[in-house]
Amino acid sequence: MAERGPRKNRKRRAARASGGLFAHLDAAEGRRVAAGLAWRQTMRRRVLVVAVGLALWTAGIETRLLFLQVWQHDDMVARAERQQLRTIATPAKRGEVLDRHGSVLAVSVDADSIYAVPAEISEPERIGRLLCEALEECSEAFRDRLIERLRGDRAFAYVRRQVSPREAARVAELGLDGVGFLKEHRRFYPNRELAAHVLGYVGIDNQGLHGIESTYDEQIRGRPGQILIQTDARRRAFSRLDRPPTRGATLELTIDGYLQHIVERELRAAVELHDADGGTIIILDPFTGEMLALANEPTFNPNDFVASTADTRRNRAIQEVYEPGSTFKIVTASAALQERVVEPDDPIDVSAGMIRFGSRRIDDFVRYDTLSFADVIVKSSNVGAIKVALQVGPGLMGDYVERFGFGRTLSPDFRGESAGIVWDPASLNDSALASVAMGYQVAVTPLQMVAAASVIANGGELIEPRIVRALRQDGQRIAVTPRLIGRAVTAETAATITTFMEDVVKRGTARRVAIPGYSVAGKTGTSGKVVDGAYSKSEYNASFVGFVPSRAPVFTVLVVINAPHGEEYTGGAVAGPVFKRVAESALRHRGVPPSIRSTSPILVRRRGDPLPSVVAPAARTILTSLTSVDQGPSTMPDLSGLSARQALRALAPLNMVARLHGNGVVVAQQPGAGDAIESGMTSVLQLSRRPALTKDGELDP
Amino acid sequence: MFERRLYCHIDWLLVAAVLVLCAIGAGMIYSTTYDPTVGTVGPQLSTQFYALLFGVVAFAVCLTIDYRVLADHSPLIYGGMLALLVCVLLFGDVMGGARRWLSLGPANLQPSEFAKLALALLLATYFAENRRGTVERADLGMVALFTVIPFLLIAEEPDLGTAVGLLSVALGVTYLAGLRLQWLAVLATVAMLLAPVAWTYALEDYQRSRLSTFLDPARDARGAGYQQIQARITVGSGGLAGKGFLQGTQGQFNFLPVAHNDFIFSVLAEEQGFLGVIVALGLYLFVIVRGLDAARLAKDRLGAYLVVGVMASFAFQVVYNVTMSAGLAPVKGLTLPLMSYGGSSLIATLAGFGLVVNVRMRRFTN
Repeated sequence: MAERGPRKNRKRRAARASGGLFAHLDAAEGRRVAAGLAWRQTMRRRVLVVAVGLALWTAGIETRLLFLQVWQHDDMVARAERQQLRTIATPAKRGEVLDRHGSVLAVSVDADSIYAVPAEISEPERIGRLLCEALEECSEAFRDRLIERLRGDRAFAYVRRQVSPREAARVAELGLDGVGFLKEHRRFYPNRELAAHVLGYVGIDNQGLHGIESTYDEQIRGRPGQILIQTDARRRAFSRLDRPPTRGATLELTIDGYLQHIVERELRAAVELHDADGGTIIILDPFTGEMLALANEPTFNPNDFVASTADTRRNRAIQEVYEPGSTFKIVTASAALQERVVEPDDPIDVSAGMIRFGSRRIDDFVRYDTLSFADVIVKSSNVGAIKVALQVGPGLMGDYVERFGFGRTLSPDFRGESAGIVWDPASLNDSALASVAMGYQVAVTPLQMVAAASVIANGGELIEPRIVRALRQDGQRIAVTPRLIGRAVTAETAATITTFMEDVVKRGTARRVAIPGYSVAGKTGTSGKVVDGAYSKSEYNASFVGFVPSRAPVFTVLVVINAPHGEEYTGGAVAGPVFKRVAESALRHRGVPPSIRSTSPILVRRRGDPLPSVVAPAARTILTSLTSVDQGPSTMPDLSGLSARQALRALAPLNMVARLHGNGVVVAQQPGAGDAIESGMTSVLQLSRRPALTKDGELDP
Repeated sequence: MFERRLYCHIDWLLVAAVLVLCAIGAGMIYSTTYDPTVGTVGPQLSTQFYALLFGVVAFAVCLTIDYRVLADHSPLIYGGMLALLVCVLLFGDVMGGARRWLSLGPANLQPSEFAKLALALLLATYFAENRRGTVERADLGMVALFTVIPFLLIAEEPDLGTAVGLLSVALGVTYLAGLRLQWLAVLATVAMLLAPVAWTYALEDYQRSRLSTFLDPARDARGAGYQQIQARITVGSGGLAGKGFLQGTQGQFNFLPVAHNDFIFSVLAEEQGFLGVIVALGLYLFVIVRGLDAARLAKDRLGAYLVVGVMASFAFQVVYNVTMSAGLAPVKGLTLPLMSYGGSSLIATLAGFGLVVNVRMRRFTN
């Protein structure tokens, strides 16, 4: 635009007035003035209209922005991340599973997978050929496909998954840019079938599918790591961020690998010997609920679980229910004794040898005249048990069935545990009650049965059976504590039932089970299996449940053999001997001293501390004398529960000086039980009127 | 020609708002062209900076020369602009499938941006000399003629966005000059009747698909609906407070194409969030309202219509671009004036504001 002076400008305007481009539009000067007001009015009005329109638009657009940026914000952020971030998961190493002594039951082994970042590879041809030379089994076709994958700007491509360590080492030696390794893991069970049902197995995607691998999957799986790759719109990789995986927790089981091995060996032998369909053995610590061994037959190899059948993978110990038969008389007897319906010596007339309910007739195996109540259990008289149960009544029977843990799942450690089948007491007529009294018309799992027997063994308490002893993670060990479900019977009742069960072994249906040098308490069970809706005459479940040593139980053992097809089929004949062999081995393995004196008074004592126990001081006396002999003169005996006089008597042979505080029975001592002592040392004893709960016998002022 | 006392009447508030918007735009261009892997900024920022310098010069020039003098030469300016547009069609550079630029050695010029100013000036002159004070049928014919010639030349490039901007200038000036409402209704009816015809004959395939995917972006999420969806994601992921300067990933990683240009408002929404958007939008509204105020205050009809012509295209672009960035209008190559990358656009816009300030400043002079 040319420069123009003001004078020239004025000249131009004069020219325009006299006939410029728009001269034809010129009109009178007066109209101009009127129009001058009019245009301003029009414009002001219309500017206002425009401004109002603008305001409306602003309101609309801000509503829209609020909707997008606040209401839909999260959704939009997610969409942005989805298209911008590529995530590659790096699997975490699965924690190990150990037995109670630390031997490995399940372990994850490394397997390298090789990947490439094609965006960082400038010469796909050369790299592809180098990789091919380093890998085993590299066909021409594979190489071409590999080179094709390495081309382009993509952020990730597998070279080969789960290669051998040698291949991985050779590729690593090449030191190629844009080629990396991913650690993947494969589950390995070094002992093959050992504890297969307990452990379960793991799927290819590191997912626990069965057993504790499934129940504790969350803890032992660990947290997978992530490689986050920022990509642009053309999927070109920009930056990467590694989040390393977190290793899973190591699981320490209550299983004793050695006992587990013994149990599996004996079970398989028995199943073969008796041509049985299968079987289950469980060893339980009656005081803590720890399962020391759990075996089922048939079993499978978890390393190759794909090749196994569903039947072999089924954990019969918790998933399969059976009618327990006479072993259930433990419950019947407990109910009768606890409720004072009968006394052990009360005579029961079983001379008929049978009992009728309408058209139904129940026979005894052997016909007796009159049996004491104790002998009803010892000789396993159905008629006697039924008569007692009828006196107890359906309500109380149902109550005790429940107290012993039937009709509910017991352990949190297994998925798919069956609760069994228990009838509603209200719907039990006499005939049904009779069935329950001898262990029919109730369906229980082996785990429930062994837990119920442990109630008798530990002095009357139902303790949650469990298989996990501790979790170890980041150098920390978190022990699982025993959990009391409830008290089923008093210690006195449990003690009486124990004597019954001892007699079962000594002179009852399980004489073959007697273990020299140890007192054994047990009960046999033989129940017809239901086949096609009726009780079979050829298919039986033979079972034996018991605990050793009966006066200071260390193990409760249940043996169930499903459908033995040999000549023998009763619990005493089939399951009893298996119990004996398993119990013998277990006692030897644990180093339990023989309890030779078979007539020693019953001793019910809690091992460990957490559960309150009411204990007769008289029984304690015997205990101390036993333990002090066992442990030799150089260790401090356990004095808790003893009166001052008894404690001093116990300490006298050790040449110990005792200092006493308080009155009553010993509740704490220093040095603690089992500590090394020397003759002439001073011990401090805290006495109290009521037995206090203290840890490890330490002084608790 | 420039009297010192005029200084006192320069609308410094408007100037300040315009410059702040330019600065915000430069910041957003910095952010979108920033390459986080290398840590450098694209060449666009320096180009924009030079354009800003030229723009300030253009602003000063347009401010200094009395708008009445410019009006005297409006037919000449208009004619020169038409000649330039013809030159573009004959000798222009092709970029991205469109012939819009004239090569001037180190820089490129986009004459279509300046065509709006030339048209505004011509129409203002025409209506100012229209003694009737209203808009008659004959006037409409003239306006249509003045508008259609550059419209066709620009649409031929093709640059439909800028061409439609010309229509906004014509409509704005005519409306404020007193276009009767029945005529407005007639125009709207004609536009509606013409729409299907234009759909079939006038629009390119890509323009048709843009319009149809606007109604249903998901129909072609990877193709024509892509930009619209990405604009929504960009705005939405910003949230209330934004991701922060240089933290916007949508633009930097090319998910939102030409983010520094047509979708710079979306990037602002992503990085500065709703609050940043409120600030920018407030500045734009202030500028527009201040412009309309200048029209209201203008000494004569020429000044008023000139300001209205300039502000009409400015407001139209702002409204359309913001609406589009929020995903509420079909995607169209319309820049956000002052903020978007684009030298010619920036220079032309600043020159336009030179005219606006010019009119306001001289409201007391004779």
